[in-house]
Amino acid sequence: MTVIEKDSLIGKRLTKMDAPEKTAGKTRYIHDINLPGQLVGMILRTDRVHAIIKSIDTSAARALPGVHAVLTAKDLPQKGLGVNKDNPPLKGERVRCERDEIAAVAAESEEIAAQALRLIKVEYEDLAPLFDPEAALRPGAPVIHESKPDNVAMAFDYSHGDVVAGEAESDVVVEDTFTLHRVTHCCMGVSGIIADFEATSGNLTLYSNTQVPFLHKREFAEVLGMDPGRIRIIQPPIGGGFGSKLDIYPFEPICVYLAQATRRPVKLVFTRAEEFLASPTRQPAIVRLRSGAKKDGTLTFRTVDILLDNGGYTSWGATIPFVMMQTFSSLYRVPHCLYHTKAVYTNNPYAGSFRGYGNLQATFAIEAHMDKMADAIGMDALDFRMKNAQVAGEVTPQGMDFKTCGLQDCLTLAARDSDFAAKRSAYAARKGAVGGVKRGIGMASMLHVGGGAKIYPSDGCGTNIKLDDFGHVTIMTGASEIGQGSETVLAQLVCEELGVPMSAVTVVNNDTDITPWDVGVHASRTTFIAGNSAVGAARKAKAKILAAAAGLSNLPAEQLDLRGGHVIRAEDGESVMPLAKLLRSLHFSDKAELVTTSHYYEPPSVHQDKGFKGNVSAAYAWATQVVEIEVDTDTGIVTLLKVWAAHDVGRVLNRLGIEGQIEGGIVMGQGYALTEDMIMVEGHLKNAGFTDYKLITAPEIPEMSIEFIETMDGEGPQGAKGVGEAPAICMAAAIGNAIENATGVRLTSLPFTPERVYRGLKQGAAS
Amino acid sequence: MTAIERYLAPASLDDALAALAGGNATILAGGTDLMVQSHGGKTRLRPVLLNIRRLPELAGHSIEGESVRIGALTTINQLREDATLAKALPLLAEAADRFASDQVRNMATIGGNVCNASPAGDTLVPLLVLDAEVELASASGRRRLPINGFFTGPGRTLRQPEELLTAIYVPMPRLRTVSRFVKFGTRPALDISAVSLGFKAELTPAGLANVRVAFGAVGPTPMRGPGTEALLEGQRLTPALIAKAAETAMAEITPIDDVRATAWYRRELVHNLLRKVLNDVADH
Ligand SMILES: Cc1cc2nc3c(=O)[nH]c(=O)nc-3n(C[C@H](O)[C@H](O)[C@H](O)COP(=O)(O)OP(=O)(O)OC[C@H]3O[C@@H](n4cnc5c(N)ncnc54)[C@H](O)[C@@H]3O)c2cc1C
Repeated sequence: MTVIEKDSLIGKRLTKMDAPEKTAGKTRYIHDINLPGQLVGMILRTDRVHAIIKSIDTSAARALPGVHAVLTAKDLPQKGLGVNKDNPPLKGERVRCERDEIAAVAAESEEIAAQALRLIKVEYEDLAPLFDPEAALRPGAPVIHESKPDNVAMAFDYSHGDVVAGEAESDVVVEDTFTLHRVTHCCMGVSGIIADFEATSGNLTLYSNTQVPFLHKREFAEVLGMDPGRIRIIQPPIGGGFGSKLDIYPFEPICVYLAQATRRPVKLVFTRAEEFLASPTRQPAIVRLRSGAKKDGTLTFRTVDILLDNGGYTSWGATIPFVMMQTFSSLYRVPHCLYHTKAVYTNNPYAGSFRGYGNLQATFAIEAHMDKMADAIGMDALDFRMKNAQVAGEVTPQGMDFKTCGLQDCLTLAARDSDFAAKRSAYAARKGAVGGVKRGIGMASMLHVGGGAKIYPSDGCGTNIKLDDFGHVTIMTGASEIGQGSETVLAQLVCEELGVPMSAVTVVNNDTDITPWDVGVHASRTTFIAGNSAVGAARKAKAKILAAAAGLSNLPAEQLDLRGGHVIRAEDGESVMPLAKLLRSLHFSDKAELVTTSHYYEPPSVHQDKGFKGNVSAAYAWATQVVEIEVDTDTGIVTLLKVWAAHDVGRVLNRLGIEGQIEGGIVMGQGYALTEDMIMVEGHLKNAGFTDYKLITAPEIPEMSIEFIETMDGEGPQGAKGVGEAPAICMAAAIGNAIENATGVRLTSLPFTPERVYRGLKQGAAS
Repeated sequence: MTAIERYLAPASLDDALAALAGGNATILAGGTDLMVQSHGGKTRLRPVLLNIRRLPELAGHSIEGESVRIGALTTINQLREDATLAKALPLLAEAADRFASDQVRNMATIGGNVCNASPAGDTLVPLLVLDAEVELASASGRRRLPINGFFTGPGRTLRQPEELLTAIYVPMPRLRTVSRFVKFGTRPALDISAVSLGFKAELTPAGLANVRVAFGAVGPTPMRGPGTEALLEGQRLTPALIAKAAETAMAEITPIDDVRATAWYRRELVHNLLRKVLNDVADH
């Protein structure tokens, strides 16, 4: 008989299941899907930023051969999209920002559609524009939406303790205004959708790049006035989301309306320039922060006032204060905190959700102050953070319950590996020297939800597992794969339970008619929530299999286990029978139950109260990143030499996957810090392409040293916590601190482009 | 984009020049500017698209007397990788090394870079300091023009629509010539110059001779710096002279603000980079 050794998959380096197809260029994205009879959809966008639409003349476009439909606002019900429902798919009366959709065409080819757009004539009457969020609050400012005469789209307020008392007991108080810029996701896979109505039933199938298919079903139904049960969403492989596909945006219902009008499938995929103009941005912010500490290094208070440039309409960007607040209230222990935010309408592009969700902005401000206060009281920057760092077991005044917390370990490890303390004081000693290339080191830490986030009514996810006659396992999960590697990690968790190799697994995760419900890819929740759901389903399946095997083998189920594709004797690993054989025999019996269902409703977290208090996530992720840089004082160029990243991830599941996630996040954070910037001039984007919108390229990527702290979260699948957003969060903050360490100049605006750094050095030298 | 009525890929120069004679043809070399510009709606293609890549007269390079003749179709990667060229004209090789990416460098030609006449064209500054000449051919004859003065504005040159750029002649640098090229972009690769700078001079016991200084992306065309050249000519490099040269250069350029940099920053860069180059030459 064969003995099968135990061989755990957890912590192994597993290649992503979709990697071979992707690297061979064989993956079929939405671009590659073409339905019979399909038409091309295209959108005419305004060239104004704030204007009344006087007239739209589509007659010439309609007359063009090959054009099947031309739609304007008057052809559609005026239903608003987005968080404030303030964004109608097609604008009929007024435009509020550069991307605004005026008309849409369905035609037989791209050329015809493009020509039809050129034939549409729009007359406008310009209105006074508003670009500066601070001006939006002044009396007499242009009003962007009549329903919000004060231009405030959304406001969040939070407090704990008494900041006046906190300030009174402070030995040092620092205050700064930080200005955070506008960047965009730059997914390699642009936004796109295909809408296809079934001729007789009227059922709608959408091929969509969305990262929230089940929420979109509901939202589409609302906008279209349809029964959500008749909408099916299929997601082709998605070339990146990062939050950009989390809201419903005008192009999506527009495409559906075009399909409705033409009774043909319509495909609408953005060009790269359109992706820059008409996909959401990260939320620009002005953060005024006042913080205090005692001489012994205890934090005393924090007063925060944040102004967000909401742009012309309200998408998820306006809600980032919800996440920023957690960082201000709870990254470090702070007894008194007062927090006000406003998101105001302007005629700029509007912001959506973006990996980190406000936490890059919040962390940038806080960590600058941590350095500043440490220096002011003459305390080592690491010791100061250690003194105020959260530890496991704490419940913060905001109600966050840190069942596991590796922050102090992250700080210690990143500082030790990088020789932080010695370098920081050595470089600081050379701050004053004139000219040349200077070195600096900087540190930042972060806190982010790592066990889902209870924002929607449910934060659950369902999994179905199907086993076939040959021992093949099909996992049907609600969790979407958007390139982050979720299908691999879910397969891995199921294989670990069922003792089958990865090659025996298929993951179905892209069809709302097949897969169970899930809230979507956001809040770094998929591994935690969908992982728990998959493990739960697999354990149920395993119990059934072992019960059946017990019947056949005359061994009690408790003495059996699954390993290497066999049912084995737990005590010595001896094979009892191949799993496939057992499953086949079940198939032909009246006990056949090859499909099992499980789910994860609900994680142990709560909805926050009206004051935003409550334990919003079942677990929290922590990290510290240290960066070492060089600043060329002749040009202002900042070169990132090395990053040391220490992350509390609960437990490493797929080591290759998590390293990739962290490396990618670091590079994204690096781009946010150093090079990426949407250059706006009076509401118009001046760099809608990769020539002048500068993503980080290969030679700029620094050496990285990545360390994991495994705190084994009690609620996480195999102990794991979420990690998706975490690695992008610290970079700008750490680089800002490193620039100060190198040059003595504290820059409070991003990005640190060579020109901004150079100007800062000149001004710093002059003052 | 305009509909192209005819596509020609002649194998002889005469055929090409005949096709150009009517003035209604667009010349296609590597296409790395032309395709981007026509897709972006910035260039209207003429009815005839004339691919010149099969013209043997435009390919290759040779030493002719005191000069190197570089065929217009020589690619940027050839400037970088061809041992003879890189040895004879290290300045061009250096510029080629900072140019775009391998994919682009394999297609992009020096003739296209010159005729595209971008103020940021990376071979143009080296060609200016090297006193290059361009050779133009048309059905009615050939002419040679110094590259200094050839550029008349952004995207504009003295070349007539019926003329083809056939070659570039570069005098071989004399002994004891030092030359430098500096490209400033905000990242190490795949960037359009925000500023570039070229320097060449012969080191003689009496001081610098035949000084050439040129700048890219700081005016409507790549430009020489006559004031800076005059200041340095015949002089020995002292810290005071270097400081004065940097000031002079910064004053004689005519930069503008655009998405890549402000005029102020471009002046600062020219000042600091020239100072760095001259300090480096002085230490030589
Ligand atoms: C991604 C990318 C990066 C780039 N990076 C750089 C860079 O770092 N530095 C830089 O300088 N440029 C850069 N460029 C621009 C471009 O690659 C260069 O200008 C290149 O040298 C153009 O050569 P080509 O052969 O492709 O010209 P084409 O595009 O074929 O032609 C350019 C123009 O010149 C005309 N033309 C071409 N050859 C002749 C001839 N023999 N006679 C008459 N007219 C002619 C054409 O009609 C056209 O108007 C970049 C372009 C891209 C797409």
